[in-house]
Amino acid sequence: MIIFDKVTKKFPLGNFALNEVTFEINDKEFVFLVGPSGAGKTTVLKLILREFIPTSGTIKVNDWEISSRHFKKILSLRRKIGVVFQDFKILNDKTVFENVALSLKVIGMSLNKIKEEVKEALRLVNLSDKEKVFPLQLSAGELQRVAIARAVVGEREILLADEPTGNLDPKTSWEIMKIFKRLEGKRTIIIASHNVDIVNSMQKRVLLLKEGKLIKDIKKGRYELS
Amino acid sequence: MKEILKSIRRTPYQSLSAFLTLFFSLFLSAVIFISLAFLYGLLAYIETRPQVTVYFQTNVEENKIFKIREDLNNSGKVASVKYISQKEAFEIYKKLNKDNPLLLEMISSDILPASLEIYAKKPIFLPEIAEYLKKQPGVDEVQFQKDIVDRLLTLTNILRTAAISFFIFLILMTIIVLTTSISFKIALRKEEIELLRLIGASDFYIRKPFLKESFFLGFIAVTSSFILIVGLLFYFQPFLNSYLRGIPHLFLSLDNFQIQVWPLSLIFLGITYIFSLFFGLSISSIATYFATKKYLKV
Repeated sequence: MIIFDKVTKKFPLGNFALNEVTFEINDKEFVFLVGPSGAGKTTVLKLILREFIPTSGTIKVNDWEISSRHFKKILSLRRKIGVVFQDFKILNDKTVFENVALSLKVIGMSLNKIKEEVKEALRLVNLSDKEKVFPLQLSAGELQRVAIARAVVGEREILLADEPTGNLDPKTSWEIMKIFKRLEGKRTIIIASHNVDIVNSMQKRVLLLKEGKLIKDIKKGRYELS
Repeated sequence: MKEILKSIRRTPYQSLSAFLTLFFSLFLSAVIFISLAFLYGLLAYIETRPQVTVYFQTNVEENKIFKIREDLNNSGKVASVKYISQKEAFEIYKKLNKDNPLLLEMISSDILPASLEIYAKKPIFLPEIAEYLKKQPGVDEVQFQKDIVDRLLTLTNILRTAAISFFIFLILMTIIVLTTSISFKIALRKEEIELLRLIGASDFYIRKPFLKESFFLGFIAVTSSFILIVGLLFYFQPFLNSYLRGIPHLFLSLDNFQIQVWPLSLIFLGITYIFSLFFGLSISSIATYFATKKYLKV
């Protein structure tokens, strides 16, 4: 479970990225974080990943109070979270297989188990035939699928995706969303997006952020900015 | 190994600068280490030599020398006195110059002086014994060994202090140059490090490839500098042989353990290599630690 309790994130120049945001996300829930650019979506994800520490308020992930400055289990926390970054963060000098395997290598998994898990993840994102290919030979959609495979491989309990369809055409965007749909119920999924069509069609819980504040929390929501 | 070579190929100049810095530092450190070992060996050797040696004029009768020996033995200040006759001195000379027939032809036993080698019971008696001998008739020269030991000890202490200071400077310089070279490499992999941090890689996992490469460069630098030193030692062996002529062995004493420094022994060379390896790998790890530190803040 992820709990945000009156979380505020203020940057050094004084601007608020989040302002007293409170919500709870249950295990294996599928949630969209929506809102215009600068609403605070990425900040929420970075706070969950403990890339940022809140200025005030409490954040709990699986009973760990990660908002404390003295929180020591950052490695354990990050090993439970898979992230699909907005800029993919795919390493160009590694093959597709090696990029996905990175998530497992860092936790010290055996080579045989890594092979098994990576093949499974690549099957899930329909990239089984591209495992030996280098990223520069892939399209944007394929790169995004590699990023998803890297985020879901192994036993990661939470999947965070920051604008996973941001740079993709509508057809590829839908293919990506189908992959997320396949993962539903297997782990907690939080997707930051401002793609109105996708959010509205998926009919999942929607947390609407605007200027750092949580405006709406709708169970089977739609993306309405008005 | 594949990853190490790939990283070296990716940044060849940084790798070369890291290698050369390590190579010269290790080479100089090993030269300092070997020089100090020789000096300490020489000091230990000289300390085992007679503490006072008195040479007599060649026309002095043996009886007079024996009288002086007797007086010394009766003084209660002398542990032992050894008489070296002109004939014995000539035998020693022949032994030392067996490879130089020209020198042997020029000298005969009546040219060389007879001598007494005196070991005092306590070093404090040495000046007194030397003064007594200088006043005796027929005495040509009194060699007071303590002077030499003291001078060598002072020289060794100065050299040791200078070597330690130079060594510290060398370590600092090497660490700074290595840290800078590794930082360049890390900057090129900044994105990868950031990703690794975010997917839960431990600090050690992130440092591992840089450590591996530093260790590899360190190992190559240690081995190549050691081969160069051994080559130079063997190249200068004839010079050292003639310089240290008459000294059969030099030992470096460490508590109850003695290492033969000269003639060159495998154990001494092995210890020099291990010392260089330890030094090389230590500074490589320290430099890698400092270079990666700023990228590992979570």
